[in-house]
Amino acid sequence: MAECIFAFGQCFEGKLHPASLEILTPLREVADRLNKRLILIGLADDKEKFLAIPELKKLLADEVWYIIHPNLKHLPDDLCERVLVYLASEHKPYGIFFPATKKGLSVAPRVAGSLQAGLCAHVNAFEVKNGNLFLLRPTYGENIIAKLTSQRLPIMATLALNAFPIKEAEKEPLIKELKHPEGFDWSTKLTIKNFKPPKKEPSRLSVAKVVVAGGMGLKSKENFQMLFELAKILKAEVGGTRPAVHAGWVEADRMIGVSGVSVRPKLYLAFGISGAIQHTVGMEGSEFIVSINIDKEAPMMKMAHIGFVCDAPSFLKALLRKLKAKD
Amino acid sequence: MGRIVVCIKGVPKPGTVKVDKETHTLRRESAELILNPPDRPALEVALRLKDQTNFEVIAISMGPPNMVPLLQKVYALGVDDIYLISDRAFAGSDTLATSRILAKALSLLSPFDLVVMGARSIDGETGQVPPETASLLNLPSITYVKELRFVDGKFIAIREDDFGEEEVEFSPAAVVSIVPEIDYVRPPSLKRLLSLKEITPKILTNAELNLDEASIGLSGSPTQVADVFEKTLVSRGEIFEGEPDELAEKLIEVLKEKGFLA
Ligand SMILES: Cc1cc2nc3c(=O)[nH]c(=O)nc-3n(C[C@H](O)[C@H](O)[C@H](O)COP(=O)(O)OP(=O)(O)OC[C@H]3O[C@@H](n4cnc5c(N)ncnc54)[C@H](O)[C@@H]3O)c2cc1C
Ligand SMILES: Nc1ncnc2c1ncn2[C@@H]1O[C@H](COP(=O)(O)O)[C@@H](O)[C@H]1O
Repeated sequence: MAECIFAFGQCFEGKLHPASLEILTPLREVADRLNKRLILIGLADDKEKFLAIPELKKLLADEVWYIIHPNLKHLPDDLCERVLVYLASEHKPYGIFFPATKKGLSVAPRVAGSLQAGLCAHVNAFEVKNGNLFLLRPTYGENIIAKLTSQRLPIMATLALNAFPIKEAEKEPLIKELKHPEGFDWSTKLTIKNFKPPKKEPSRLSVAKVVVAGGMGLKSKENFQMLFELAKILKAEVGGTRPAVHAGWVEADRMIGVSGVSVRPKLYLAFGISGAIQHTVGMEGSEFIVSINIDKEAPMMKMAHIGFVCDAPSFLKALLRKLKAKD
Repeated sequence: MGRIVVCIKGVPKPGTVKVDKETHTLRRESAELILNPPDRPALEVALRLKDQTNFEVIAISMGPPNMVPLLQKVYALGVDDIYLISDRAFAGSDTLATSRILAKALSLLSPFDLVVMGARSIDGETGQVPPETASLLNLPSITYVKELRFVDGKFIAIREDDFGEEEVEFSPAAVVSIVPEIDYVRPPSLKRLLSLKEITPKILTNAELNLDEASIGLSGSPTQVADVFEKTLVSRGEIFEGEPDELAEKLIEVLKEKGFLA
């Protein structure tokens, strides 16, 4: 009992969501330390397309279990729940983990509700101690990390996006199709009438080598706009804090932190960012951090390898003027 | 006439929160509450459906008694009825316990056609409550909804998904969670604002809900905090002070040195 760990392998039209690959990295370690089998669960409508997913043979999982049914094309939340709950009741996993994609965040709570299990969100690290698994995540309030346990099995969590690097295995996992029993209810109450691929390109923020990010210290949308000019010169991507996103200074897909994306660039420039933990967990892997802030004591100034005590808009203006003059 | 129930949450005004040292949960009684901002567009979506199709709209919230003024403000927006789900036994609930409580309260308010919630709460940021409540009620959930229409007895939603945008059709009853992208939210009605003092929410305690105490509150929450620790920061870099011009020059120097600028 409880000798396997499930990871949700989200796929669509023969593509595996990269976030499903990310979560295998920490789960591999957890599975090894606790001596469990790590199993990626894939739900799809087309067997050929599923088996043609290029990453499948290099997955860090011990096994891939896939379930094929035409109704699984768009992964309807209610049907995904039923399929996963059935698998959980059959195999009694130790844990079930989802990437914090929209689909993961929509299906995981349904499964948790059905199984009466606890579900931790925003998990970005694990700890194994005396055979017990602890889930770590930043919490409300300044600079506090909470270490969570679950009183019941399965342990369930959604794992922060971009928090873990994708790694490849040397050994091919065992890949097998699971058949649900005769009479299994494959229905869904959701009818997809229309599907449109995203209009704009997803931002390349999470893989950028240089990130210029801004917070409330930039004071206005006009000032924030200057970051885009700077980004052009430095071949960088622009990011922002949550309040900057809420203020409408920058789009939501450029939010860095627990509720947004994580970045791991070689250079991170922070303009008027205080450095609250919900933000810093998303950028603490940066190699070289520069902070511009009027408050010397701001946590971001302490994290920085080099800090400038200065009005961020004025600094940015001066910087752009000088860089342009040099062109 | 159909019925829509909107679930709203009071969240601590940023900066006023205290954490209980023993249970490591938020002390909501002491915090100043504001309406969870994403719940405002959720209310608007429900009220627009009411304008169009004459749905009855009920707002409910699980929380401490200091939620009452917030519920009254929501009444002023035009909802038909307000309920507060409140009991000491509910304190410390995680999302599973919260969802159990909301699901039970909703079943007491059934039949309803739709439950509308916010995409997430700004204190927990989990967005788990809508789908988890739906699952406990055995209803479909449609998350990240941008647009919602009611046509010929069915709902049609535009929802965001990881690989694109879906147009989903579903029959009542269902739970939706709304992303805060709405262009306009209505102001409160003046007439209603003037009569607020007479409006008090109906209170549902566990006497009405009748949930097993082991399934709610802190004891009904499988997720427990084992420990919290502060991340200590040691200054690791050099700090420069001065005029913007000279500091910008200094940064350019460093960027060149490190090879980020030609
Ligand atoms: C559950 C939850 C999830 C969250 N998720 C995220 C997340 O994913 N990402 C995120 O970023 N935040 C998140 N937050 C919010 C986070 O806690 C902080 O509130 C936020 O990161 C602060 O953003 P900020 O630094 O832009 O603003 P502030 O905290 O207001 O800081 C502004 C900074 O600018 C400085 N400043 C002021 N004027 C100037 C000036 N003229 N020149 C230079 N500097 C100046 C100030 O000294 C200060 O340090 C979350 C919060 C919660 C509760
Ligand atoms: N205590 C509560 N009372 C009423 N509604 C709630 C409560 N907690 C969460 N919700 C609803 O669930 C949504 C998502 O919250 P959460 O899952 O906590 O991020 C909120 O926007 C509310 O609509």
